[in-house]
Order: sequence, then C-alpha cells, then structure tokens
Amino acid sequence: MPEQRQRSPRRLRALTAALAIVWTLPAPAARFHATPGLAAPDFALRAFTGPNVRLSEHIGQVVVISFWGVGCDACRGQLAALEQDFSRYQAQGLRVYAVEVADDQAGAQHFARGTHVTFPLLLDPAKSVARLYDVDNLPMTVLIDRDGKIRQVVRDFNETSRRACEDELRTLLAE
Amino acid sequence: MPEVPSPLARRPAGRCLTAKVALLAALAGLAVPAAFAQSPAAAPVPAQAPASPPAAAAPAAPVDEQVQSLKSDVLDLNRDLFVLEQELLYPANTQVAVFVSMDAGTFFALDSVQLKIDGKEVADYLYTPREVHALVQGGVHRLYVGNLKVGKHELVAFLTGKGPHDLDYTRGATLDFQKDIGAKYLELTITDDQRKLQPQFRVKDWE
Repeated sequence: MPEQRQRSPRRLRALTAALAIVWTLPAPAARFHATPGLAAPDFALRAFTGPNVRLSEHIGQVVVISFWGVGCDACRGQLAALEQDFSRYQAQGLRVYAVEVADDQAGAQHFARGTHVTFPLLLDPAKSVARLYDVDNLPMTVLIDRDGKIRQVVRDFNETSRRACEDELRTLLAE
Repeated sequence: MPEVPSPLARRPAGRCLTAKVALLAALAGLAVPAAFAQSPAAAPVPAQAPASPPAAAAPAAPVDEQVQSLKSDVLDLNRDLFVLEQELLYPANTQVAVFVSMDAGTFFALDSVQLKIDGKEVADYLYTPREVHALVQGGVHRLYVGNLKVGKHELVAFLTGKGPHDLDYTRGATLDFQKDIGAKYLELTITDDQRKLQPQFRVKDWE
C-alpha cells in the first residue's frame, strides 16, 4: 500500500471521533434568523430587468439587501433613501439589491417600471429568500460586510433607523 | 420513488459542514497552545539565565514548524472528512451526477436549468452572467448529485434563456438511461448548431 494511503491510528481515531460528533449533533433550527455576526445565506434571484444575481459573487463588496412590497408605503421612502446611498457609495464598493416579497407581481412590475432606482430590483416569487432571512416586517434591510457576514438588520424605516443605517454603511465601506 | 436515500442522506449536509468547521476550529485552537506548551520558548526562563540573542531566537523555528505541521494535519483531516462525507452521502454504487457544459453559446444565453429525474424535480439552478462566462470558457458545473437505485430511469432537463435574436427560449432534453452498479455520470451539453443557426441541447451518458 502506498505510504500516503496509510492512516495513522491517531488520525483514524480523530476521524472516528469527528464522525461521532457529526452524528450526535442536534439538527439546526429549521428557520434562519438574520442575525448580525452570522454569514449571510447565499441565494440567486432573477431581476426585473438585467441579469440574475447571486449573493456569493459579491464577497469583497458591501451589500445591502432591502426587502420591500408594493403595498408598503414606508418601502418607497426606504428605496429612495437607498438610491441616494447607492449613487453616493457605489464607487466605493456598495451594492444594493431590493427584493420584492409581496404577492402582487403585476403591481411590482408596474412599480419597478415607474421607479427611478438604478440598483437591481429582484423577484422572489417563491418567497424562498424572504423565508431564508426570516422577513417579518417591511421594509427590512440587511447590511452585509465585505466578508459576507450580516452586520446589521433594520426592521423599520424612519429618520433614526436611516441615520443608523448610513453610519453603519460608512463604517463597513471604510473597513 | 426511484431515489434511494442513503442512511445519511436524510441528514442535512449543512450540519455536517458545521460540525466539521467546529471540529477543525477546536483542533486548531487546541493545537496551537499545545505546541507552545511543548516548546522551550514558552517555558519560564530563570532569572539568572543569560539572555543571549542567538539562543533565544533558535527555539522559535521549531515552534513555527510545529504550528505549520499541525495546520497541515488539520487540512489533511478536513480533506479526509470531506471525502468520507461524500462517500457516505453518495456511495459509488448508487451515485448519479449531472453536469452542465457549454461549447460555444453564440446562439443561446443560459438563464436556468430545471432537472427532473423520473418526473421528480431534483434541481433548479439559476445561472448568473459570471457562471455562464465560466461555462463558455470551458468550465463544467456539477448541477446535481444524488442517489438512484439500479434500473431504468428518465432524465428531463428544461433549459431557459435567450435564443437567437434575443428571444426567450425554453427547450427540453430527455435521456432514458440505465443505472447499473457503479456511479453514473451524465452531461448536459449546450452547443451551437452552425448549420441551423440554433442552439443544440444533448444529454450525454459517460459510459
């Protein structure tokens, strides 16, 4: 038997122990809670216009994901604020994606055509990404750092949250 | 149901990966202090001992080597665990894998592939421009890996994208195949038919 195929007893014991640990570990919770510090779960979605988007392709950039719906008035203000951030910080590596989670697809398409946002608006018809990020309020904004970790989750839109969000964005872009 | 779940197939792969990462982190965390504890450099130096610079610098190298060796061991262990995990999840006698490749892509811009085996959807993958570019450059994407029992099976792949003249394009490709004992590899190829100026989709069976 070639030398590299031989496994020392120590390594075999370690392998056995590792397998035992894997086997006895409890199953993770079925739902992922968008928690700061955790790696942002990857997803791929179609855009209203433009190419498909996969989150994991943006490692090294600061990513903002905003979940919104047509019937949500605060979402319009949120998207307008994000458009300002996007135009200001795009050159520094900021990427913004707005994920539409409402059931009104036709309304969303109409809104998308009429809106002046320049960042991609993504479709989530199966609500798989909304479930993945445990969206329980609209608008909900997730800030992801250059390492792909969630840094802040904002479940509202008002002046205070807007300022906090912008401060955090500046910090992330400076890292 | 044609799929044969292996004993571990019900367990989510994410759990195994989490455990692996935790184990490796634990090993790495334990290994480094252990290496320092064994090293003469970490031992308390008597107050009377003369502090000669060459003697103090000399023990640092073995510690560094030990750390590198431990890191190498951890990487080897990680590799072995990955191989073992794959062997357990997808044993060679039931394994079936489907790959996607693209030969030219002049007449077709790939958007997504939906894969059905024996009428059951097993994969639905959305391609980004970067992934399509990688395929055009000669890359091969493993779209699906799973388990099937020995016998006859049917694979249907639906490809969507933009066809000639930038029109929406959806086509299907079907293959009836025989799964024997041993791994089965199938390849979904997208080529350009220069004669018809149309894309061509085929499912190849790697014998």
